[in-house]
Amino acid sequence: MNRFHLLHATEFIYDGPVYESYNEVRLRPIDDDRQSCLSFRLITNPASRGSSYKDGYGNWIHVSSVLPHHRRLRIEAESVVLVHEAPVPEPLSMPLAELDAMRSDLFEEHFEWLAPSSYVPYLPELAEISKTAEACCDGTVADFAQTASDFIHENFVYMKGATHVNSSVRDSLALRAGVCQDFAHLLLGVVRMRGLPARYVSGYLVSGSAGPGAKQEEVIGGQASHAWAEIFLPGGGWFGFDPTLGKPIELRHIRVAYGRDYGDVPPVRGVYKGRAGQSLSVDVRFRPALDETGHEQFAEPKSESDNSQEAIPERPQQHSQQ
Amino acid sequence: MCLSDRGLFSGYTAGPFYDEMFHSPGCARSHYARLFEKLGVMAPTQFEDRRKHADLSFLLQGITFTVYSDGRGTERLFPFDLIPRILPQSEWARIEAGLSQRVVALNLFLQDVYGKQLIIKDRKIPASLVYSCRHFRREMIGLEVPRGIYTHVCGIDLVRDSATGEFLVLEDNVRTPSGISYVLENRLVMTRTFPEAFQEHEVLPVNHYPAELSRILRTLSPRTEPDSQIVLLTPGIHNSAYFEHSFLAQQMGIELVEGRDLIVDGVVVYMKTIYGLKRVDVIYRRVDDDFLDPLCFRSDSMLGVPGLMGAYRAGNVALANTPGNGVADDKAIYAHVPTMIRYYLDQDPTLRTVDTYLCDRTDHLSHVLSNLPNLVVKSVGESGGYGMLMGPSAARAEIEAFREKILAEPRNYIAQPIVPLSVVPSYDSAAQCMAGRHVDLRPYCLYDGQKVTIVPGGLTRVALEPGSLVVNSSQGGGSKDTWILRGEC
Repeated sequence: MNRFHLLHATEFIYDGPVYESYNEVRLRPIDDDRQSCLSFRLITNPASRGSSYKDGYGNWIHVSSVLPHHRRLRIEAESVVLVHEAPVPEPLSMPLAELDAMRSDLFEEHFEWLAPSSYVPYLPELAEISKTAEACCDGTVADFAQTASDFIHENFVYMKGATHVNSSVRDSLALRAGVCQDFAHLLLGVVRMRGLPARYVSGYLVSGSAGPGAKQEEVIGGQASHAWAEIFLPGGGWFGFDPTLGKPIELRHIRVAYGRDYGDVPPVRGVYKGRAGQSLSVDVRFRPALDETGHEQFAEPKSESDNSQEAIPERPQQHSQQ
Repeated sequence: MCLSDRGLFSGYTAGPFYDEMFHSPGCARSHYARLFEKLGVMAPTQFEDRRKHADLSFLLQGITFTVYSDGRGTERLFPFDLIPRILPQSEWARIEAGLSQRVVALNLFLQDVYGKQLIIKDRKIPASLVYSCRHFRREMIGLEVPRGIYTHVCGIDLVRDSATGEFLVLEDNVRTPSGISYVLENRLVMTRTFPEAFQEHEVLPVNHYPAELSRILRTLSPRTEPDSQIVLLTPGIHNSAYFEHSFLAQQMGIELVEGRDLIVDGVVVYMKTIYGLKRVDVIYRRVDDDFLDPLCFRSDSMLGVPGLMGAYRAGNVALANTPGNGVADDKAIYAHVPTMIRYYLDQDPTLRTVDTYLCDRTDHLSHVLSNLPNLVVKSVGESGGYGMLMGPSAARAEIEAFREKILAEPRNYIAQPIVPLSVVPSYDSAAQCMAGRHVDLRPYCLYDGQKVTIVPGGLTRVALEPGSLVVNSSQGGGSKDTWILRGEC
């Protein structure tokens, strides 16, 4: 088990006065048998009226509104999370060939996780990768998923700024590059096209651990906000795959929200009135969690503010008529 | 009553279609007999005078609608034909029972697909069909709606099949159906134009509709105060149904508001007034789901109220109709309504539906593609007669264009055999005589969670172009007053 204390701050600076600003925030870590959200607090500056609810995918959404004029809005989410375990697929699993017979049943039970979505349309290039992975794997669904994830990890370049927040898999397929959001989308498309249900996971990757692959993690670890995919392996259940990291899901992957793709789970999305542009900064920090004697349990991982395109939540503008 | 052809009806023939007025040439059905007797002795010039009087009356009251597709976006008079569509009460009773059954089943379906999804888990309706509906709103899953009502107002389109004389359901409209204002105004104009006819016929009244709708809206209020604030939310003056929005608001004595008149503070909706903010309890919204709340749905919407869905979710405001209803009137889901009636109510559907081919089923698709000239093809999420192919009257190029569209997006299309609609004599002002024109019937059903109230009759829409089967006002249709005669059978 790992306990983390994290602070996720989002700050909007407007170049003029804005008002009636409403935001939907998806930052509360998931609570289930693999992870517990021990506490969660959302604070905004200016102070806001808020409410919260669970959406159809089971994600917590907090709605906050600031009605008076303001030029700056800071949304701070603080959570303490306990990660219990990260299950790995059984080495012996169902042969891929049996999937075809289950196709219509899987579509009935997991339609949302199989159908093409706006960021992840069905494309021949994805089917091509799917075929390659099928040829290279040992013929089981688990190894197919792993091979597909590895293929994306090896054949696409992690490149900050290569794509933007609204990029679909078309862009990353053309560039052979992208960020974690794109890598996750690619994997979703590849396995969905083979008939395996798969969902987008938005969350965090706690970096800072030493060991093999540390160099690469430095690149990736600069971005604490992370995304990967979970794939439904019939007979086994849902398992996470991280095509960006190229390594198994560990006790440092923190899940925040599930969706068909990024479009379902932007961390902060909202509208405001006023004729003003905005700039955004996002800062995710891990604070050392204290043990029962009050001592820090583990060293503070690297934290940094990030202004890259990737972290920019979808935030369409709404101008008033005035 | 049989009269020889003369006057307005000289040379009249319904052709091969079911004639609502005559059971055989020159012989009126019993419920039309008195009217036919009256019209039969009327000179065309006398009739023409009354027609002009009626048209003027509509013009002066500003009873208009807007057409989008002709690129002009102009406001027009809704053409009105003076010959009423008459149904005997016995026939109406059966229609009423069938509609009530259907509305209750549609409401149960909506409760279910946004709740436990039993009809899906029980494999009666495919999940893929439900989830792929353009108007299925994931935001509504698990949301408890006031009194469990989704379908407060439904407009269900019926047609009479000339082949059998039977009424069939053509489509359901459970999002923001419009047209009731024309029912009320048509009746008003008719009573002024033919006052004596209403002395001779016992026509069931329709004017209690606004009071009934208002009563239902009031029951939805989350607050018990007698002065609950109810408003009608309109997209504004450019909407095709703006006349109706202002008409209904005025008839019900409630405020007519646009999105910019409302504001959500915390999770409560307020109306901006010159006396300050006033809490709003119930919104009869005539704004589509997409535009209702830019925070929840389309973020570029200027028509909606940001945060409205949050207030709705918190139970602080009621919405009618409920967002997400479009999954129930999707034209592919339509094929499954009889299944819903059997599943939820364990009853046989009273009203039959039209055979429907779902283009995303490969067996259906091949039939559709090889029979396009004989079918009507509809886009599943559209309404108002937009996005439709009428096979028999379409040019070859149009059919081929539709073939491409269907192949590109089979889930988006359904096809049906052409129903030979019944006709009602309608005045052809160019020829100054009566001619048979095809009609449908849209009754308006109000549901309060206990019972369905339907004002007797509804809107009879008429295709004024000779031979045309498309009755939508947006496609050149007009309307008639609809009379249900008490005691007639």
